[in-house]
Amino acid sequence: MIIIDRRKALTLMGAAAVASTLATPALSQSRKIRVGALRFTSHSATFIAVVRGYFKDAGLDVELKFFQAATPMAVAIASGDVDYAVTAVSGGLVSLADKGAIKVIGGALSEEAGIDGQKILASDKAFQAGLTSPAALDGKTFGITTAGSSFHFMGSQVAAKEGASVTFKPLQKVGAIIGALKSGQIDAWSIVPHIAKPLAGSGKVHIIGNISDYLPNYQVTTVFTSAKNAADERSMTQDFLGAFSKGVDDYNAAMVDKTLGDDGMNEMVDLIHKYVYADRPREKAAKSIINGSMRLNAGAALNVSSVEDQLNWFKSEDLVGKDIKLDTLVDASYVKTI
Amino acid sequence: MSEKSSKPRSVEFRGGGFAPVSHRWVGLVVFIVLIVLAEVGTQTGFISALTMPKPSDVLETFHQLYVSGLLWKHLVPSITRLLVGATLGITVGIWVGVMIGLFSYVRAGLVPLVAAIFPIPKIALLPLFVIWFGIDEASKYALIAFGTFTPTVVATYGAVDNVDRTLIRMGQSFGLSWTSIVRKIVLPGAMAGILSGLRISMAIAIILLVAAEMLGAEYGIGAYILEAGSLYDLERLFAGVVILSVMGVLVSAAISAVERKLLGWRT
Amino acid sequence: MDIRLSGINHSYDDLEVLRDVTLDIPSGKIVCVVGPSGCGKSTLLRLIGGLERPTSGEILQMGDVPENCLNPLTYVFQDFALLPWRTVHGNISLVLEDHGIRGARAQVIIDDVLERTRLTDFAKALPRQLSGGMKQRVAIARALAVNPAVMLMDEPLSALDSQTRELLIDDLVALWSRTPFTAVYVTHNLAEAVRLGHLIVVLSRRPGEIREIVEIDKPLADRRYADPDLEIQQKRLWDLMREEARAADEELIHV
Repeated sequence: MIIIDRRKALTLMGAAAVASTLATPALSQSRKIRVGALRFTSHSATFIAVVRGYFKDAGLDVELKFFQAATPMAVAIASGDVDYAVTAVSGGLVSLADKGAIKVIGGALSEEAGIDGQKILASDKAFQAGLTSPAALDGKTFGITTAGSSFHFMGSQVAAKEGASVTFKPLQKVGAIIGALKSGQIDAWSIVPHIAKPLAGSGKVHIIGNISDYLPNYQVTTVFTSAKNAADERSMTQDFLGAFSKGVDDYNAAMVDKTLGDDGMNEMVDLIHKYVYADRPREKAAKSIINGSMRLNAGAALNVSSVEDQLNWFKSEDLVGKDIKLDTLVDASYVKTI
Repeated sequence: MSEKSSKPRSVEFRGGGFAPVSHRWVGLVVFIVLIVLAEVGTQTGFISALTMPKPSDVLETFHQLYVSGLLWKHLVPSITRLLVGATLGITVGIWVGVMIGLFSYVRAGLVPLVAAIFPIPKIALLPLFVIWFGIDEASKYALIAFGTFTPTVVATYGAVDNVDRTLIRMGQSFGLSWTSIVRKIVLPGAMAGILSGLRISMAIAIILLVAAEMLGAEYGIGAYILEAGSLYDLERLFAGVVILSVMGVLVSAAISAVERKLLGWRT
Repeated sequence: MDIRLSGINHSYDDLEVLRDVTLDIPSGKIVCVVGPSGCGKSTLLRLIGGLERPTSGEILQMGDVPENCLNPLTYVFQDFALLPWRTVHGNISLVLEDHGIRGARAQVIIDDVLERTRLTDFAKALPRQLSGGMKQRVAIARALAVNPAVMLMDEPLSALDSQTRELLIDDLVALWSRTPFTAVYVTHNLAEAVRLGHLIVVLSRRPGEIREIVEIDKPLADRRYADPDLEIQQKRLWDLMREEARAADEELIHV
C-alpha cells in the first residue's frame, strides 16, 4: 500500500513537472505491464499498438501473454499476472467482477449493420432437413463452448427472437464444435466470419443468418483490467487505452473502412500475420485475416446498454448472482459510452 | 566389569514406533481442522473470496442443489456413465487380462499393445472418440471404458501370473476341465490382485467422468464442475469436487466390502 | 490295475534325467521310489501321471480301473495344493463337481473320505486354520474321493515336521490296511520308504537308472518306529545310495 502511495505521489509530481512542457503525458516512464491476448484478429489492435510502438510512446513496456481461451486470461487478470486484456463478456468474467477482481473499462469488437459480422451456421445434415434459416431452429441443438460463454448468449438471443427452443451442447473448445458441426452431431452454431466463411466453403456447413440481425450493436468483446488497476492506476490505464485506441484506429482504417487502399491493407495483414495464423502461409492467412475484419470501437468506446443486456441475460439464466449491479462489472469512467 | 556398573539396571525399552496402529479418528480431525481454518480464514477476509470459497457457502450451494432436485439430475447421468463405462472396461479388461495370463501367444501379442496404450492420456483421444462414437452417451461410456480397461488388464494378468502354479497343476491332475480350472482356481486365486487393480480403475473412472462430460453433456457432475469453472463460480466448483470425492470414498468402501466378502479366507 | 513302464528315457533339451527305466507297479502295493536329489524321481512320477510325456518308452495301464473310479491316476502333492479359499469340504467337492457329482451323492463320498482320514469334524474349516499334517490329510482325502486306481504321492510328508510325519505314516498304514490301494510313493527319506514300501526302487544319480529293487515282505501293519528289521533294510539302502548321494551333492547345479 505504501509503495503504491509513493508511486502515485511520484506520478502526480511527474505530471506536474512534465505537463507544462509536453503535450502527450508520458507519465509512467517505461512501466512494465503485461497484456493478455488470444491469437484472433479481434485482438489486432493490441498487436498494432505493440508493433508500431504506440505503447512505448505512452511509456508502457508491454509484454504480450498469449492464452488459449478467454477464461484463463480472465483468471490471470484477477490474479494480477496480466494487467490488461480483451475478451468477450462471459459468465466467468461477471463472476470475477462480482468477487471484486476485475472491471470492464472499454469496448472493442462490435457488431455493426453493413459490416460483415458473426454468422449463424447450420450443419449440412440439419440444412438438408430444413434448417435453412434461424426461424427453423426450434428443437435443434446449438453448439457452445461452455455455459455462460458468448456462444451461449448469442444462441439463446437468436432462439428467443425466433421463439425457438434449442438445446445447448457444451463442447469446451471451438475445434470440438467445428468437428461436431461438420459431422452433423450438432445442428447450429454462431461464429466470427473468418471461421464461418471457410467452413461454409467446405460444403459441410451452411451460413443461415447474421448475428447482427438479432443483436444490432452487440458489444462482442470488451477491454478489461483488474479492479485494482482500474481504481488505483488511472493514469497507466488511460495511457494503455490511449495507445490501444491508436491501434484500433489503424485497424479500422486499413481493414474495415479501407481508407488506406490495398497497400495499407496488405501492410496491416503482414503485421497481423506475425501473431495470427503465423503457422500458415501468408496467402492463406491473408484471406482469413481479411474475412475476419470487424469494427473495433473507436477510442475503445463501450456500448454499456449491450453489456447490460448481456449481464441481465446471465442473471436470468442463473449463471451469475442475481444481485450483481452493472457498476460492479463496468467502470465507465475511462471511455466514451455508447 | 567395574564395580560401579555392577548395580542392576532394568533393560531400556527401545522397540517403540514403526508398528502400524489404527487411528481412524485422526483423519477426521485433520479434515475438520482444515475446514474450520478455511471457514475462519474466509470469514475474516484473510483468505480472499478469489482464492477460496467459504465452506459454509459451499454447504449452502450443496443444500440448494439438493433442494432444487438438481443434485439428482446431475448425479443420475454421471453414475450411469460411471457404471456402464466402468463395467464395460473392467469386464473386458479382466477377460483380456486372464487371456494374457493364460496364453503365451496372447501375452506376446497384447502386452506390448497394452503398454503402448496405457500411458496415452485418454482425454487427448476425446476428439477421436467423438468421431467414432458421437457426442452423446456412447463416447462418454467409451472414454471411461477405455480408461478403466488398461489398468484392469495390467492388474489382472499380474494377478493371474501370481496364482500358485501348483494349484493349477493339481486341477489338471484331477482332470478338471479348462473352464473349471479358470473359474474355480485361476479367478479366485487372482481375485485379490484384480480387486486392488479395481480400486485404481475406479478412481481413474471418476477422474475421466469430468473429461467425458466435457463434450455435449448438459447434466452430470463433471459438466457441473466444468460449468462452475468457466463461470468462475467457486462455490459450485467446490460443491462438485466434494461430490466427486464422496463418490470416490463410496466406491472405495464398496470395493472394501467386496474384498471382505470374497477374500475372507485370507485373514 | 497295474502300471507297466518299459524303457523310459527322458531328457530336458540336452539334460538326460531318466535312462531306460523299466518297472512294474503291481495292483494293491505301495512302490517307493528313492534316490539322491535330482535323480528324476519326481519326473518319473509326472510321467506316470501323464503330466509330462517321456522322450521315449511306454507307460501302460494294465487291466481295468476299479468301479466308480473318477480319476485313475491321482496325485498327492508335497505342498498339499489345497485351494485356500475353499473349506475342507469345498476342496474335496472341487474334484467331484467336474464329474457331475453334486449334492447328496457328493455328500456320501465326502463324508466317507473325511471319516477315513479322521477329518469329519473339520469339514467347515479353511486350510489356513489347519496344521500341516491335517492339510495333507485333506489332500489325501481329496485323492481318495475320486477312488483312484493308483495314487501318485510326491514326497507327501516332506513339508511336515518329524513327529507329524510319524503320525501320518501311521495314518497311511491304517488307510492301506483298511482298503489296500496302489501307490507310487516318491521320497528321499529312507525311513519313510522302509515303513511304507512293499517295493523300494533305488534310482542312481542323474541320469536316473534303476540300481536295485528291494522287496520288503514284512506286512505294513507290523512295521513299527525304530523296528530293528527295518533298520537293517534302511542301512542296506543307505549303503547303496551313499556314494551316489555324495556325488550328486557335489555336482554343480545344472542351469
